[in-house]
Amino acid sequence: MRRWLVELCVAGLLAAALLAASFLAPTESTMGHAQRIVYVHVPVAWLGLLAFLAMAGSGLGYLARRDLKWDHWFQAAGEVGWLCCGLTLVTGSLWAHKAWGTWWEWDPRLTAAFILWAIYSGVLLVRAGIEDPHRRARVGAVLAILGALDVPLVVMATRWFRGLHPVAPEMAPLMRVTLLVSVVGFTVFFGWLVCRRREQLGLESMTAELRRQMEG
Amino acid sequence: MAAFWWIVHKDLVSEFRSRSAWPAMLLLGIVVALLFSVQMDLLPEHKRQIVGGLLWLSVFFAGATVFERSFAAERQDGCWDAMQLLPVSPSTVFFAKLTVNVLALAVLEGLLIPLFFVLSDLPLMAHAHQLALIGLLASPALAAVGTLVSALAPGAGKSGSLLVLVVLPLVFPVMLAAAECTRLALENRIDDAWWRWIQLLGVCAVVFVTAGMLLFEYAIED
Repeated sequence: MRRWLVELCVAGLLAAALLAASFLAPTESTMGHAQRIVYVHVPVAWLGLLAFLAMAGSGLGYLARRDLKWDHWFQAAGEVGWLCCGLTLVTGSLWAHKAWGTWWEWDPRLTAAFILWAIYSGVLLVRAGIEDPHRRARVGAVLAILGALDVPLVVMATRWFRGLHPVAPEMAPLMRVTLLVSVVGFTVFFGWLVCRRREQLGLESMTAELRRQMEG
Repeated sequence: MAAFWWIVHKDLVSEFRSRSAWPAMLLLGIVVALLFSVQMDLLPEHKRQIVGGLLWLSVFFAGATVFERSFAAERQDGCWDAMQLLPVSPSTVFFAKLTVNVLALAVLEGLLIPLFFVLSDLPLMAHAHQLALIGLLASPALAAVGTLVSALAPGAGKSGSLLVLVVLPLVFPVMLAAAECTRLALENRIDDAWWRWIQLLGVCAVVFVTAGMLLFEYAIED
């Protein structure tokens, strides 16, 4: 019953975010409807960064406690973060095509987002090939902590190097409200996805342990 | 401190006797530089734009062969087990391995910078002191990430060969800053922008060396 209520709230918030982005926000005068991509792009970009920090935090948790539960959080956050980072690149590219007339520009923040996605992909690929769960957790934790050092560069890149990427552009009040609703809606939805994936990984781990005990 | 010098000495003597990693690194550097130079049949102003990136990519690719071998020799004949029995802290081992890798990169850069000077016909040697500063900051940053990740390779098993997929994006800020510094130096623009990239190189070196020192203990647990 409780889970049912939580899922209803998550679905409601996500629906509110999508409806606000589609109907509440006014149409931007220069870019038209294409500007609405921002209401997906900003939340997924924020979640891509947040998930990487969550990965590094879970990695630190594992190294400190040696409990595989931390590694399940790591894997769940990594997979969802990888998806968000990929969506950031796709939605950013769509927006850039309309705004700048090109699908891709080597703007520092875009470059940093791509690098973050490449690190996510590398960490998940390396982990996928390691069978021993504790080795997998340890290798992933070290790489993610090292990779998290890239996150401040992502955030600071625009300010340091002044690329094409807009920093806090002027927005109408209704656009700001829509953006806020989108960020909250997407954050709750992806948080829920991470929790569900983490539960699934816990069950997989338990099943594997039971199988080992039965065989051995 | 004695243990640090002992490990550095051991690795250098071992390399001098076996000549296994450094000649391969230098040869790969030369081959990569020659292959890149094929793409440099351009006007001088266009060459100035790309030569920095090609130079530091050559350094990275050739240097990666030495990083990979940092711990490979230790794993043979139980050397690593013997080293772990010694009363030496993991950070001492990390700094010793890092020092050897930085020395290897210094030798590599000493070869590749004149080679790019010859191949590109750009006045790289006129900016030798600026390139030396770039190398001084970029080498520890590159070597710190390379050393730490190579220490993970035995634990990663089959995935060990995939670790290079993580190294390149991790060192991307270093590569970008080194390439931009080289380009600006070649354009005689030693201005605020040049110093900002140098600062980024310095920050990368401090962050990666510190992270390597702190994480090395967990990387070598196998």
